[in-house]
Amino acid sequence: MYILPKKESLRMIAALAEDYDLYGPVLQDVSGEPLFDRAMDPADVRLDAAITYNPPKGVLFPQSERILSYRYDRESRKASIRRDDLVRPKALVGLRSCDLNGLLCLDRFFLGQEYVDDVYLDHRKKMFIVANTCVRPFPQCFCVCTDSGPSAREGFDVNLTEAGDDYLFEAGSDKGEALAKRLGLKEAGPDASARKGRIVDASIARFDAEATENKAWISRVVNRITTGFIGNEVWEYVGDQCFECGACAFVCPTCSCFNIEDVASGEGGADRMRSWDSCSFEGYTRMAGDHNPRKPVEDRRNKRFFCKLSYTQSKKYLRPGCVGCGRCARVCPGDIGLPNVVTYIRRETTKAGTR
Amino acid sequence: MSYQTGVCNFCGTGCGHLLKVNDGAVRGVFASPGHPVSRGRLCVRGWHIHELLATGDRITAPLVRKEGRFEPVSYDEAVAQAAERLSRYSGDEIGFLASPRASNEDNFLMARLARDVFHTNNIGLASDQGHGAAADVLLEGAGMPAMLGTLTEIRKAGLILVVGADITRLNPIVGSEIHLAARNGADLVTLSSRRTQIAELSRKHLWLRPGTTKTALAALAKVMIRQGGHDTEFVRNRTEGYEAFVRSLETIDLDGIEAGTGLPLAEIEDLARRLSEARSAMAFFTSGIAGLDHASVALLYDLFLAAGKIGREGCGVNPVTGVCNIVGSYDVGAGARFLPGYRRAGSPDPGQTPRELLAITPTPLKAVVVADRDEEIVRHAAKIKGLECVVYIGAYANAFTDFAHIVLPAATFAEADGTYTNAERRIQLNRRKVDPPPGVLPAWRVYADIAVRRGAARTYASAEDVMADIAASVPAYSAVTYPKLEKGFGLQWPCDAAHPEGTPRLSVEEISGKLKFVPAAADFRAPAASEAFPLLLMAGKANYFWHTNNIMKKTHIPKREYNALLLLYPKGFVEVAAADAAKIGVRDRRPVNVVSAGGSMRVAVRVSADVKPGTVYVPYFIEDMVPGFLNAFGAAVDEDQDSVIPVRIEKV
Repeated sequence: MYILPKKESLRMIAALAEDYDLYGPVLQDVSGEPLFDRAMDPADVRLDAAITYNPPKGVLFPQSERILSYRYDRESRKASIRRDDLVRPKALVGLRSCDLNGLLCLDRFFLGQEYVDDVYLDHRKKMFIVANTCVRPFPQCFCVCTDSGPSAREGFDVNLTEAGDDYLFEAGSDKGEALAKRLGLKEAGPDASARKGRIVDASIARFDAEATENKAWISRVVNRITTGFIGNEVWEYVGDQCFECGACAFVCPTCSCFNIEDVASGEGGADRMRSWDSCSFEGYTRMAGDHNPRKPVEDRRNKRFFCKLSYTQSKKYLRPGCVGCGRCARVCPGDIGLPNVVTYIRRETTKAGTR
Repeated sequence: MSYQTGVCNFCGTGCGHLLKVNDGAVRGVFASPGHPVSRGRLCVRGWHIHELLATGDRITAPLVRKEGRFEPVSYDEAVAQAAERLSRYSGDEIGFLASPRASNEDNFLMARLARDVFHTNNIGLASDQGHGAAADVLLEGAGMPAMLGTLTEIRKAGLILVVGADITRLNPIVGSEIHLAARNGADLVTLSSRRTQIAELSRKHLWLRPGTTKTALAALAKVMIRQGGHDTEFVRNRTEGYEAFVRSLETIDLDGIEAGTGLPLAEIEDLARRLSEARSAMAFFTSGIAGLDHASVALLYDLFLAAGKIGREGCGVNPVTGVCNIVGSYDVGAGARFLPGYRRAGSPDPGQTPRELLAITPTPLKAVVVADRDEEIVRHAAKIKGLECVVYIGAYANAFTDFAHIVLPAATFAEADGTYTNAERRIQLNRRKVDPPPGVLPAWRVYADIAVRRGAARTYASAEDVMADIAASVPAYSAVTYPKLEKGFGLQWPCDAAHPEGTPRLSVEEISGKLKFVPAAADFRAPAASEAFPLLLMAGKANYFWHTNNIMKKTHIPKREYNALLLLYPKGFVEVAAADAAKIGVRDRRPVNVVSAGGSMRVAVRVSADVKPGTVYVPYFIEDMVPGFLNAFGAAVDEDQDSVIPVRIEKV
């Protein structure tokens, strides 16, 4: 571990900006709220910002993206297919641990199965990741319940932990080590790990009093969701409150479902667009012949929480599909963010126990 | 930062959004966390507005029809031709159809073009009937011709009454605020003839017989007054016309109320008691696309006035607009019968809307200027086709362009500065975020250029310059400036010398005069079923209607969702309760004839738990069924949402 004095953090970000397109928490000009976005100036990256409103997944998996374009030439009767060059080295600076875990889930979906998604892979190539330990929780957070924070354990090149006037600089890869050398950082000494441990423990201790928006003891419902022992009236209670807006999926760091649409671009050409999709939509599971295995809204909601919390699905992600960021609860027009749904399920199991 | 703040352009909620702009194009959208109304939420439409803005399906060049075919011409030539050809018409030969999704600046200059240059008051919005009724009542009664409360106080309401509206579909974020208020303890009651999501989420759904909204509202008022539940002090000190209002309720027969409305008297008594005992109360109904008629709005307003639930925190009678700038369009004089600032149009005559002129046979209309709409086309396609001169100004091609003689492209809301006024009177500024296609101008500039061709002296340098003229013409906007709007999340009118930072809601303390009870002049007779026509048919646009679907069809995900329904019922459907379907002997998706005294149409059956036995529902916006439906039932459904037609359904 190394010491990065806080006043030198800009030097680190600027050094990364020499080799990478820079992304990080940036403050919106009007609302002042932090968004994870492209930073044109290293000084725009705010390591002290609260958890960003949008997840960083849009950097690798944009909301709407042309994944190829094609053109059919009538005269020569030839079709040509073109792919945009997406391999641009990107540095993601100031990633919160939940969001880094979300990114690892995306990796397992797009890259970790029998089929490898070339478009995602192109975005992911040559990436440099600087994680940022949450030394205090935000009101919406429950990563301690989903094993995804407050400090990252894997997947980073550098993990920063705020410690007084310094950051503890933990290299997670050769690239991270090289950056420490390049910046000429001092070794943090033998007690650095213990010091970091104390900071993380102190952060965890603050969850009870400060992370008050959501409590989601997900381990209590994993079994129920996996086995399906949840009364239909719970899903109906959830389904009645679903406005079918799709927001929970759009803000989720691990949601990876997408739609493909070919859009005519004129003169025999078309762009193949990939965009975020959501299992809350009826059209999402509709099949040819009008068959829909998940037509009622409560069945579609059921699917979402199965994907986030069942053991079956966790085997694919190598962790629960929820990373405890609390965003879905904030954007939901109903009252069915994941933490609340966990509560509704627990309430039912408690009731069943007293019957 | 590629995210830029703006206002969603779909419904009248006016949610804040962040448009992601990269390389000069809109690539995405995110909810705006700091926005006081939407607080980081958007609906399915709002989450896909970038798909609409990315469509290649635009009008990009001025076109003039020559010998039946469109030919591209220069902008100057198109403007010159429009100015010259329109000048041939006068009186009821010419009309202007404004767009309720266009900015205040656009609509203000369109209204000026109509009145100052072509000397006609024949201007309207097509979807203005519902809002016109609400504006009339609230102007007469409270002097504030729009929402009396504010959306940001929904969570302070003790009781919330939703009348008719399928509000979680039409204005989802308003529906969300209402739902979250109810989760926090507000008493939520829905009064409607059809089950909706908000009815499901309510503590109580008063499931009315179709066509009896007025009767139920009048009965509520009568019961409350009989219970002594009206706010006597408030009524005495703050209102006038109460005695006449009480007298007008004399004809309401409470003993027959269950037979008439389907609601037991005990339930009406319970709601009346809750309304008077609530510390505060709000009423919501849809205006604009398919709202309540004048009498219903008046009775609802009078009921809340008697209860003392107007002009106080967490209170108000609140029309919610279905399209983003209906309120603003009225404010600046593009709605029917109002000049800018809600002065009554009178000289030379109050004017008729293009919708009204087209309804006359034969229509006196010969020329029409249309902005960005296609709603009227389905109703009056044949008549519009026969017009001598149709000038279409808009961003997207649609059915109207096929009948146009001159087409002028216009910038979208993301390509031009402009202000939009949401349902709660919040004037919000959308800044230009991307460039329009080469040569394409904001619509206000096109109107100004046509006016200059006809000799107008005034020119405008910018949208901000137009706003200065609006501020000079509309008293409630007199203190509105772009720099002020830019600083925060808009200003709620009246925004004038006395209220430089705007007025969130009506406040009794500030009113010098008195609030007036508005006479309802209601006809309480409702069509009844008979042996020949045993079912009561409701027609609505509420469910599944995503604004002019012409717009939604240019998106990807919302289009897919809309099509999911249309694939099942491609020619439209009639919703029938399971018990009635069994009686008729039909299953879901089987064709039937819906027969009334006036005609018949063939549609598919959709078996639904959302209608009660004895009632059926037709969503008449589905394009294929509109001509058939309107031919059969046209006049009966033209007036308002609460219209009801007795029918029978025959198996085919």
